[in-house]
Amino acid sequence: MISILRRTSLALTALLLPLPTFAELSRLGDEALSGISGQGGIYLSGDISINEMGGPIENSYFGRCDDADRKCGARFAYRLKENGGWMVLDDIRGNFSFEGLTLRVRTVDSGFGGDGELFNRDVLELGLPNTVRFNDVQFKISSSSTARPTDPGFQQTDIFSVDMRGDVVMEGSLLVFPAGNP
Amino acid sequence: MRWFNFSQLPVFTRLLPMIAAVLTVPVPVEAELQGLSETEMSSIDGAGIGLVLENFKFSHGTDQPDASGEQARIFRIGGIKSTDGRDVDITVNHLYIAGANSNYGETLGPVNLGRLLNPWKIDVVDGNDIGIANKAVLEFAASAMVNSDQGYDCMDSGASPGSGNCSSRPASSGYIGERADIGMQMNVAVGDDRSANINIHAKSAVIDGSYLRLWGDNDRRQMVGQFKLNFYSPELSINACTQDGSTCGSRILMSNFALELAIGNQLQPVFFDVDGSGNFELEVAAIRRPIPGEIGADGLRGSSDAEAWDFYESYYTNPEFRGNLKIGNFSVGDRDFGSARVQGMLIQHLNIKTRDLSP
Repeated sequence: MISILRRTSLALTALLLPLPTFAELSRLGDEALSGISGQGGIYLSGDISINEMGGPIENSYFGRCDDADRKCGARFAYRLKENGGWMVLDDIRGNFSFEGLTLRVRTVDSGFGGDGELFNRDVLELGLPNTVRFNDVQFKISSSSTARPTDPGFQQTDIFSVDMRGDVVMEGSLLVFPAGNP
Repeated sequence: MRWFNFSQLPVFTRLLPMIAAVLTVPVPVEAELQGLSETEMSSIDGAGIGLVLENFKFSHGTDQPDASGEQARIFRIGGIKSTDGRDVDITVNHLYIAGANSNYGETLGPVNLGRLLNPWKIDVVDGNDIGIANKAVLEFAASAMVNSDQGYDCMDSGASPGSGNCSSRPASSGYIGERADIGMQMNVAVGDDRSANINIHAKSAVIDGSYLRLWGDNDRRQMVGQFKLNFYSPELSINACTQDGSTCGSRILMSNFALELAIGNQLQPVFFDVDGSGNFELEVAAIRRPIPGEIGADGLRGSSDAEAWDFYESYYTNPEFRGNLKIGNFSVGDRDFGSARVQGMLIQHLNIKTRDLSP
């Protein structure tokens, strides 16, 4: 019995308890830690459609895009004054697609005409996808008396509209980092 | 089956619980968290977001229709009406933001926008620091102006350090620089008349020192703002071409173009509104009139209410409140018209309102 218990204990020791002598962990100083950065990032390809066929609301004003009497784009309204009228981004619709939007953390310590060396910090880098394909993207900038076009007394002035189609060249990276009043 | 007392167990077995205890207890951590004093806490402030566009290039436009009448790329601004009710359609043939020496948008290279050490910023700033009392102000700002011993001349595309107040550097042989070539080629059609093709190009453009500040006004319960646009370019040109761009008319050339436009200031912010009929309204309210007796008959500080006198003195003398436009040389084709300068424009009252012309 003693021998069984002894053997069981040994097995237990070996299985459950880490042996302190073999692996040695040494602490890293602040300086050494600051030099460590994670590898990798995010690579995104996307296809974003906004009300390409029509939005979820169907009423006297909004409807399917193939219905010529109705508007099918999304509407975003914001108010600039208490009890005032509304600025509107109206009739937002279309489709964007892109390949290769990247997101990663990067240490900048060189380049930028000498600024990089002085900067020497981490930034969040959003790599633009070189080309973004717009499929009949359109929107209108308007001002309106009410938030919803179905509200009573609705009046709206469309200031201008924008219509974009095809490959838009957008190259480079957007670097984001804390700045300002530290 | 026989059970042992602890003391009867072999030595190794008796040591086991001790080893386990030593190994499972965490070693005291040596990192130490320290409290901050009130004074230290009060000097801590949230940082804003710095933005830099690296190797940036943007280009979009409208292609000629192919044999089947399809266009691969379209960029159109519409919805505008002329005063006689015809639709105005602006077809943007090419809009670009690219590096210097783009040859009017022909060869697009990359450019950096904003400097790491002086980036474009989105920040909530303490209004007390910028003369807007007791408000948190949302600020969108381009690179700030710097002292002339550190900056670069805003115009000269070969400027060296210490030559001016602009932070953005011109392109040099080893560096693409932070000054962009910006241009827009557009075809403005009024009704069926598609003849007007207008091109605008700015070389090595700098917008350092520009900002948009937004906050809320308690009395009018409205969004208010302050807008400053600085735009410097050694060459701003406008010309008109035939629709296919093959032949162009004379170029209107403005060399050393500097626009410093201030709309709204700390004392007279811009109010944004949409009125009840759905029209956008932008207003710079007039400055308050002095109460009779507040300013003495001779207009001097000694005979006036000192506080009121200082208020008007700062309003009329602060160069920050004023806009300037300078054109080094204005020429059309081979005719020179010399330089033009409008200085010290103070917007004392402004009201812009859109009107719906459609019946």
